[in-house]
Amino acid sequence: MTAEIIVVTSGKGGVGKTTTSASLATGLAMAGKKVAVIDFDVGLRNLDLIMGCERRVVYDFVNVIHGEATVKQALIKDKRHENLHVLAASQTRDKDALTQEGVEKVLDELSKDGFDYIVCDSPAGIEKGAHLAMYFADHAVVVVNPEVSSVRDSDRILGLLASKTRRAERGDGAVAQHLLLTRYNPARVAIGEMLSVKDVEEILGLSVIGVIPESENVLAASNAGVPVILDENSNAGQAYRDTVARLLGEERPLRFVDAPKKGFFQRVFGG
Amino acid sequence: MNAKMEANDVCDLRFGQVGIASVRVRRADAAALCEELERRVRAAPQLFSRAAVVLDLSHFLDLPDDGTVDALLEAVRSAGMLPVGLAYGTSATEALARRMGLPLIAKFRAAYEPADGGSIAPPAPAPAPAPAPRAATREPAPAPAPAPLGAQHHDGAVRSGQQVYARERDLVVTGAIANGAEVIADGSIHVYGCLRGRAMAGAQGDAGARIYVSDFRAELVAIAGHYRVFEQIPRDLEGQPVQCWLDGEKLLVARL
Ligand SMILES: Nc1ncnc2c1ncn2[C@@H]1O[C@H](COP(=O)(O)OP(=O)(O)OP(=O)(O)O)[C@@H](O)[C@H]1O
Ligand SMILES: [Mg+2]
Repeated sequence: MTAEIIVVTSGKGGVGKTTTSASLATGLAMAGKKVAVIDFDVGLRNLDLIMGCERRVVYDFVNVIHGEATVKQALIKDKRHENLHVLAASQTRDKDALTQEGVEKVLDELSKDGFDYIVCDSPAGIEKGAHLAMYFADHAVVVVNPEVSSVRDSDRILGLLASKTRRAERGDGAVAQHLLLTRYNPARVAIGEMLSVKDVEEILGLSVIGVIPESENVLAASNAGVPVILDENSNAGQAYRDTVARLLGEERPLRFVDAPKKGFFQRVFGG
Repeated sequence: MNAKMEANDVCDLRFGQVGIASVRVRRADAAALCEELERRVRAAPQLFSRAAVVLDLSHFLDLPDDGTVDALLEAVRSAGMLPVGLAYGTSATEALARRMGLPLIAKFRAAYEPADGGSIAPPAPAPAPAPAPRAATREPAPAPAPAPLGAQHHDGAVRSGQQVYARERDLVVTGAIANGAEVIADGSIHVYGCLRGRAMAGAQGDAGARIYVSDFRAELVAIAGHYRVFEQIPRDLEGQPVQCWLDGEKLLVARL
């Protein structure tokens, strides 16, 4: 058995890749899979904060690549799910610390250790770090916000996935592409301030695997070091649960994509 | 607003094969050149602001002196474009380029990623048809006859940052061409999808080449170097099936 490698990528920064990586990895673990989630954003280190394990980082991804620690030593076991592990990024190194051979070695080792899924949290941009995060992927979750610049960057990333990955180079069949629309605000879509699900699907020629609504609970969850998927009461958490189920092959209808009906006061006073 | 094709006596501004702008100077008047280019940059900043530009001096029988060329380069620069080299010309141009410390650009290099991970080189000849399984005889297959250059086909989307080039033939694209993507053909271009990016037909100068699009939202269309920029797409053309062709120097776009 080899591990399925999933890259979470976007091109544009700040669209919700790390939030998504943490929730997908957690959701897959909740489904009983053995999961590792790796922070490729060398120099920034965000994932461990959102996963709530920042105080337990001893060795990081770069240490492993440089042979200063083994994969086993560097993996941090999640405190809530024992089949979920985090490999943190280094905060002190620069982006050149990652090499293609090094990344391949780590992924191979995880695969041999019986991991079912390896989730790679990509840095923004299309430079080396983003390239390495996507290079070995079997699946790509392309995170996009409902605005023009994010859609444009995602389009660019989709092109790179089809040409600059190991699968593309070897002619091994395409990287499976999944479009995840996040920070979706149906009310702003309704008044034309944001692109709709349909707009985004049409421009990119792909249908979405999920729509995560804009939600205050995301920031609150991040600050608490709890992936938002664990917040069952939030729409964002539920939408991430749906997304994980769809990734695992289940069919579920989209939720939270329509603006709430206007209440009596809004109807009377506008707004 | 559309940047109109305007005849102007200071210079011609045209698109080369891969979207590097080329400024063909017709009058060695740096001030006028700067003013004219500034106007172009203002009209289509997305396209021309900080665009890589090749200075083409082939209009001059005798090259301007070094000081004048310096002034022309400075004019391009202060208009907001970035001169990156001189267009290939005579041995005098070559010597000039060397003195100026600039590269000579013979054929514009692609700054794009080719779609499908291929190269921008001429399209590979069509693969020979696969032999029928379990052929009765083991005779060597007859040498394939030189195939006439049919259209080049591209199935699916052309993504932002990608380029597809059909050398010496037509190009047929069945998917959408994204903003920031570019399709180029020496012949005509047929797009059976949405064109949001750029399409350039007749890239080697064939003024008879045309562009057909089933869903028009282009950033730019060009035929034989004559281009039209669409900062905003005219209402009556947006999303419509259209045809683009050259009428003399004028690039026309109309609904099909
Ligand atoms: N669905 C959402 N609703 C509200 N806020 C969100 C949502 N998703 C993400 N955010 C917020 O957006 C910000 C950026 O999120 P995140 O760090 O996950 O993005 P990123 O793509 O990983 O960024 P970078 O490119 O810097 O790595 C964070 O403040 C996060 O809390
Ligand atoms: Mg991040």
